[in-house]
Amino acid sequence: MTALLTAPLTFAVPKGRILDEALPVMARAGVVPEAGFHDKGNRALSFDSEDGATRIIRVRAFDVATFVAFGAAQAGIVGSDVIEEFDYSELYAPVDLDIGHCRLSVAEPVQPIQGGSSSHMRVATKYPNITKRWFEKQGIQAECVKLNGAMELAPSLGLSLRIVDLVSTGRTLKDNGLVETDQIMPISARLIVNRAALKTDPRVGALVERFRAQSGKDTA
Amino acid sequence: MMDPADDLLPEGLEDRLPQSAAAATRIENAALAAMDAHGYDRVRPPLVEFEKSMAKRMDGLLTRNMFRFVDPRSLRMLALRSDMTVQVGRIAATGLAAVPRPLRLCYAGLVARMTGDMLDPRRENLQLGAELIGSDGANAAAEIVELAIATLEAAGARGISVDFTLPDLVDTLAAQEFPLDAGQVAAVRRELDAKDAGALVAAGGEAYLPLLYASGPVEDALAKLATIDAGGVLASRIDALRQIAARVDGRARLTLDPTERHGFEYQSWFGFTLYADGVRGALGRGGTYTIGGTEEPATGFSLYPERLIDIVSSDEPGRPALFLPITHDRDTARRLRAEGWRTVGALTESDDPAKLGCTHRLVGDAVEAI
Repeated sequence: MTALLTAPLTFAVPKGRILDEALPVMARAGVVPEAGFHDKGNRALSFDSEDGATRIIRVRAFDVATFVAFGAAQAGIVGSDVIEEFDYSELYAPVDLDIGHCRLSVAEPVQPIQGGSSSHMRVATKYPNITKRWFEKQGIQAECVKLNGAMELAPSLGLSLRIVDLVSTGRTLKDNGLVETDQIMPISARLIVNRAALKTDPRVGALVERFRAQSGKDTA
Repeated sequence: MMDPADDLLPEGLEDRLPQSAAAATRIENAALAAMDAHGYDRVRPPLVEFEKSMAKRMDGLLTRNMFRFVDPRSLRMLALRSDMTVQVGRIAATGLAAVPRPLRLCYAGLVARMTGDMLDPRRENLQLGAELIGSDGANAAAEIVELAIATLEAAGARGISVDFTLPDLVDTLAAQEFPLDAGQVAAVRRELDAKDAGALVAAGGEAYLPLLYASGPVEDALAKLATIDAGGVLASRIDALRQIAARVDGRARLTLDPTERHGFEYQSWFGFTLYADGVRGALGRGGTYTIGGTEEPATGFSLYPERLIDIVSSDEPGRPALFLPITHDRDTARRLRAEGWRTVGALTESDDPAKLGCTHRLVGDAVEAI
């Protein structure tokens, strides 16, 4: 079906934290959204690129990975936290864009809460899969409470003993009486592409090359 | 009162109704005919067999995702097949052990797995494939790739794309040319698989970086691969890939990704993935492997055509059908069926041929279009 190959590529970008840093990187790789993309009043979710070769969709970070893994979008930008959490076999993360740096860490109250057992630990997090895997390696069965935000409240209100969350400056932890105890992984934003799309659509390979070329960190 | 939830089908399991069942049957038959025409004999292994016997035939095949239960007769663990390749391996190692090699076998049947996932919820799949037992050289690999393409073409796939890979390359290089600690190999393979250059270096796999960039259209990628100085193991693989690519040149878009390992749990030096235009994800894969127990080399491929069937079934042409009135000449009807007509017999005087989906009716001994 040649019609599919001539349709524009779909490029997924996350709302929020990474987007402002991602736009200049995308521009250097030739992906520039139309003017309406920057209009705060515009509620559209899908935009053309200036050259018409790409359709840019703006979705939640976790959904960027899902759209691309499914092949609904051929490429996108997302933090390595999201890539690790889903661990989708259909995703490639070929280029480290060297933006959106932070870390995924374990934190606990400054005043340790008594209770809990040595083999099990209740943890509040947006990342239950990474959390489970990391605690397993410590020989602890993590019982995750999936929260979508304000993790920092969980220990003080008795919802969990620990939290696993993104940390950049550590300010939020401090303000909420928490202290970072372990770093699970450093995070940065990656270009991701769909496995089948990379192998069957030459434009996806070309897109990867453009992102590689402008990202000094990733030239071998 | 009927509870509508009573008739729900479980997640990942579905009916194929006449139109899509017709497409599935047509595709299965066409694929089997293509494999048969290339001299591959069909075998029909059972749906269920002993878990242990399936597990030992292929390295890396996990029985964890198979439906398993205790056999009340033998009190041993049974498993519902999730990959027919292992069954064909067992047949080659047992019932057909004495048959001269190379042995060419093909198969088609349903396979099941315990859980699907969000990307592919299907828990039951049609698996079609062929195995060339007794050889895993470049000639065998080329024959299997060519057969896989021919089978896909027969099944109606268009715009076929074949992605080659070298499944055991990292393990082979790690042992000698680019040494890695046992503990590092898994991490390096994982990051190569994700094509994550940053993480690859962090995992201690800097020497493997060139492999990451040696992917893409097969000629370019082979040229890049050839510049990596890694001794004979790589050179012999490059020669073999060139030979395979030459044999199927022009019939499919060929790409190489030397570090792809997704779906290549038991393959040895060579593997490939099949794609077609308009079909989301891979349609099948194949490669060289060793049959556990006898350590016999083999090469084969499997297709999972369900998504192809889903795509073509809405366009599956309706077939002509001949309406037979309640009183008609039975010999005439028999003769017409022998000529290839599908007949639909009336049960009552008031049966309406058009409502029954008939395109023609029998009037006396003449066929009339409706």
